[in-house]
Amino acid sequence: MKPLTLVVRMLWRDTRSGELTILVLALLIAVTSSTAITLFSNRMERTMTEQTAEFLAADLVITSHAPVPDTWLEKAGQFGLAQSQTAEFSSVLIEHDEMLLAGVKAASTHYPLRGYLKTTTSDYSAEAIEHQGPESGKAWVEKRVLTALKLNLGDVVTVGEKKLTVTKIMTYEPDKQGDIYSFSPRLMMNKQDLQETGIVQPGSHVHYFYQFSGEPSQLSEFKSWVKPQLNLAQRIMDIHEDRPELGSALNRAERYLGLSSILVIIISGVAIAMATRRYTERHLDATAILRCLGSKQSDVLWLFVSQFVILGLVVSALGCLLGWFGQEMLFRLLKDLLPQTVAKPSLLAVFLGLISGMIVLLGFALPPLLRLKDVSPSRVLRRDLEPLPTSAWLVYGLSAGLVTVLIWRYTQDLTMTATIFCFGLIALLFLGFLVYLLLMLARRFLPAMGLNWRFGLQGLLKNSRATISQILAFTITLVAMALSFTVRNDLIENWHKQLPDHAANHFALNIFAEQLPKLQKDFTEQGIEGSQFYPVVRGRLTEINGVPVQKVVSKDSQGESATHRELSLTSTENLPEENKITAGTWWSPGQKNGVSVEQKLAESLRINLGDNLLFVVGGQPLTATVNSIRALHWETMKPNFYMIFSPGTLESYPKTFLTSFYLPDNKKTALNKLVKNYPAMTILEVGLLLKQFKTIITQLTEAINYLLYFALMAGFTVLFAAIYSTLDNRLYESAILRTLGANRSLLRRTHIIEFTLIGLISGVLAVILSETLLFALYAKAIQIDYRPTWYLWAALPIIGAFAVGSAGYWGVRRVAKTPPLTVLRNL
Amino acid sequence: MQSQYSGTIILTENLGKSVKTSSGTLHILLEIDLQIYVGESIAIVGESGSGKSTLISLLAGLDTPTTGSIMLAGKSLTKMDEDGRAAIRNQYIGFVFQSFQLLQGLTALENVMLPLELRNDKNARNAATALLERVGLSERLTHTPKQLSGGEQQRVALARAFVTKPAILFADEPTGNLDSKTGATIVDLLFELNTENRTTLILVTHDQSLAMRCQRTIKLSAGKFA
Ligand SMILES: Nc1ncnc2c1ncn2[C@@H]1O[C@H](COP(=O)(O)OP(=O)(O)O)[C@@H](O)[C@H]1O
Ligand SMILES: [Mg+2]
Repeated sequence: MKPLTLVVRMLWRDTRSGELTILVLALLIAVTSSTAITLFSNRMERTMTEQTAEFLAADLVITSHAPVPDTWLEKAGQFGLAQSQTAEFSSVLIEHDEMLLAGVKAASTHYPLRGYLKTTTSDYSAEAIEHQGPESGKAWVEKRVLTALKLNLGDVVTVGEKKLTVTKIMTYEPDKQGDIYSFSPRLMMNKQDLQETGIVQPGSHVHYFYQFSGEPSQLSEFKSWVKPQLNLAQRIMDIHEDRPELGSALNRAERYLGLSSILVIIISGVAIAMATRRYTERHLDATAILRCLGSKQSDVLWLFVSQFVILGLVVSALGCLLGWFGQEMLFRLLKDLLPQTVAKPSLLAVFLGLISGMIVLLGFALPPLLRLKDVSPSRVLRRDLEPLPTSAWLVYGLSAGLVTVLIWRYTQDLTMTATIFCFGLIALLFLGFLVYLLLMLARRFLPAMGLNWRFGLQGLLKNSRATISQILAFTITLVAMALSFTVRNDLIENWHKQLPDHAANHFALNIFAEQLPKLQKDFTEQGIEGSQFYPVVRGRLTEINGVPVQKVVSKDSQGESATHRELSLTSTENLPEENKITAGTWWSPGQKNGVSVEQKLAESLRINLGDNLLFVVGGQPLTATVNSIRALHWETMKPNFYMIFSPGTLESYPKTFLTSFYLPDNKKTALNKLVKNYPAMTILEVGLLLKQFKTIITQLTEAINYLLYFALMAGFTVLFAAIYSTLDNRLYESAILRTLGANRSLLRRTHIIEFTLIGLISGVLAVILSETLLFALYAKAIQIDYRPTWYLWAALPIIGAFAVGSAGYWGVRRVAKTPPLTVLRNL
Repeated sequence: MQSQYSGTIILTENLGKSVKTSSGTLHILLEIDLQIYVGESIAIVGESGSGKSTLISLLAGLDTPTTGSIMLAGKSLTKMDEDGRAAIRNQYIGFVFQSFQLLQGLTALENVMLPLELRNDKNARNAATALLERVGLSERLTHTPKQLSGGEQQRVALARAFVTKPAILFADEPTGNLDSKTGATIVDLLFELNTENRTTLILVTHDQSLAMRCQRTIKLSAGKFA
């Protein structure tokens, strides 16, 4: 007996009679929002990744001190990756008796794979975008090269033994390698001319860069293929690891998007579970009759589960469609902010939306639905015979399992998932017990209360199990919404704090000690505000406690890249702004040979307080003892240092100074004066980087705002699912009360009191739970400083009381109007 | 106090109820003229579907008639709004139903207290306890309906109906859900309480012997007096 027509007919009747409205709504919101979020964050992520990829001019780069085997490039070709190569070296250029140490890049045809170059032929106002480097025989240079060598466009410059014609001034180059303090004036040439320069010889200091771009899956396949073959001097860089300042913004945003989508699913899941409970209760009678007529348990199960599967498929498909339109609208709205080319939505994400819709529906709906299987046929004779609840373990196990999988997918960390799960379970049990105690307490005071309050409270006490689960459901919903809201606010605030409007947009490097007083005076005269002047000594970390660093670092780690090159060492008297000591202490007065190490580097190199570090500075050794570990925000465009020494420690080494400052666009001319007065000084414009960074953050902020609305919408379905799930019982009870002579306003008042109390209690519990979770989340997942969100302490209970109270009042308003007659007609 | 209404507690004139259905207007009750005196006991009998429940729901103000008027305790039910009728029900009327209609979440005692609480009666607990003792449930005060048998539930319902000392008691097939032995004890109890409280009793029943115990029997057939 498995007639599909009966399934469809029953489904159709229930849908038409409004039996399934809330369920459909909840599922629709879950699927719509999760599809929209998945699609949106997927597209946004790829758009941003593509944008960020400009910083590497590719998605993936292999760096090497010698050419890599051709088989690697062939393999990359087989994976379908686009390729380009650059070779970089320093070369002394000599023209008109002037000498200049320039950074030279020889680029192959397809360079850059991501992003673009900018050139000009006269002044900075008329920049042209270039998607390729200079042709063979030509060179593009930075303006500084022309000034220093007294050249004009069209003149010839000699690199090694090769003569090149300077045709353009280069104003923007996406992938400047190395750390930004070591920039020398740049020259770009074609890779075909490299051999003829005669510079490339065994032992020469040429760095080779192999750029690749393509689909993420192909990239990661190639990456895992090539990684084991790298030698010690070769490295892989990809956009997520290389630029720490952008990478971490991206990472956090991804984490937030992931978090939001889980929260929306959990909220909707709660709504689905509640709606299904009502559905189940309303189908107990029909099921009992079916059983009497000879249906087996498995028939009944099949009948209802297949209805849900059909319903799930139809609604999920609709949700996917709506989700698609939703994110399409979002991208339309954000059009001005986004780069010209936005990544295409991926069909896989749509499919995932469909799948996750089904999983959410079945995960949350199956447990209550399974109760129908256990309906006893004798219910036909005795209506009050309720089926035994399906084993509590199964009921909660399934939804809990689903939530766990979601969390695990989000954290990718098993211990953390287990911790969150256990904590959540304990928290819910504890809060449930707390509510139970509260209800018991209220029961004692019941006789002393006025009529309205007594009736309202009695409403809560009548079915304390249902009340507790309702309060917990609202608590979870409020917590999820509070999390979504606070994390969003703190994230955005945090970003804005890092990038104030007047964030430094220039760096000045290579300032000599004797120029310092004059330069400082010039800065004050021109009203330029800058950071302090940091002394910079270039040095390499070689030993930790007498052990060579190469033996300590793991491959591809941050520590490794830091030990491969010279670091900028500085010394300051006071802790620089936005640096925070996480272990040890700052200098005591007069302390010598102390060093403060940046936290992440210290972790990567396993440096601890009290360790002895050996540096080599210009061939001379420098030893220092680790005095403190520092955390700093790489996102700030301020001078940041891995190593800060105690004052005086670097006294005897050759050093220059560096500072950062803010210059508004209308004061750019001041730069010319500075460049003329201090020819040796390098001024670096980071404004462009800053602007790009700000755009990305604005995009993220906007996206995150919209995500919040989804969470809000899901929250409302929970509210109404919860209220409707009690509707039948309320209709019945109020009919009895009205028969006994209760008037409408009494019923209304008791409803308001009842729902407001539920909302209020949920709000208070939500404060406790969300503060605890926020604390854990900030410490572990998002790495923002935690501070209690006081306004939530007041807002959540008030919002809870008001929202649940008024929605409850509105949702059951028809209850007060039930004609008492229904009692006689037995509903 | 009953003499106030000069002996008549319910008076209907040309009472009728019809509903619109897809196949035209259905007349459930037609031209009912009925006079009920204080302290009377009346049985309403008739086939299933003849309109018995409809008639008592109109008399008790649970529903509004399409035509005609009802005077109850000297007041026109038909001229009142729903809340007005609710007040009348609370003040004058008690109910017993075939399917008991107790509130599931409340204990026996709380169920019985309910109508008194609606009047803001400070003595609710004592009065309810006393009445539950009277119907033989002194041991079951804190039990919820689920913990009680059908006969016990109906006794709670009787206690709830009499606790306000109503002038009129409506009972719609009060033994319909009970076996004959339990039904008989419930009926005995009903008539005892009725005599003790000098209540006017209006009883809908199928049971001929039960109808015989009433002073008057009205037979309904297809919405009219037979
Ligand atoms: N609201 C209504 N709509 C349609 N038919 C109704 C309605 N209320 C009662 N009826 C019909 O009126 C007739 C009388 O009902 P009822 O008073 O319950 O009869 P009884 O209690 O004598 O069995 C029945 O046929 C019933 O189906
Ligand atoms: Mg009837």
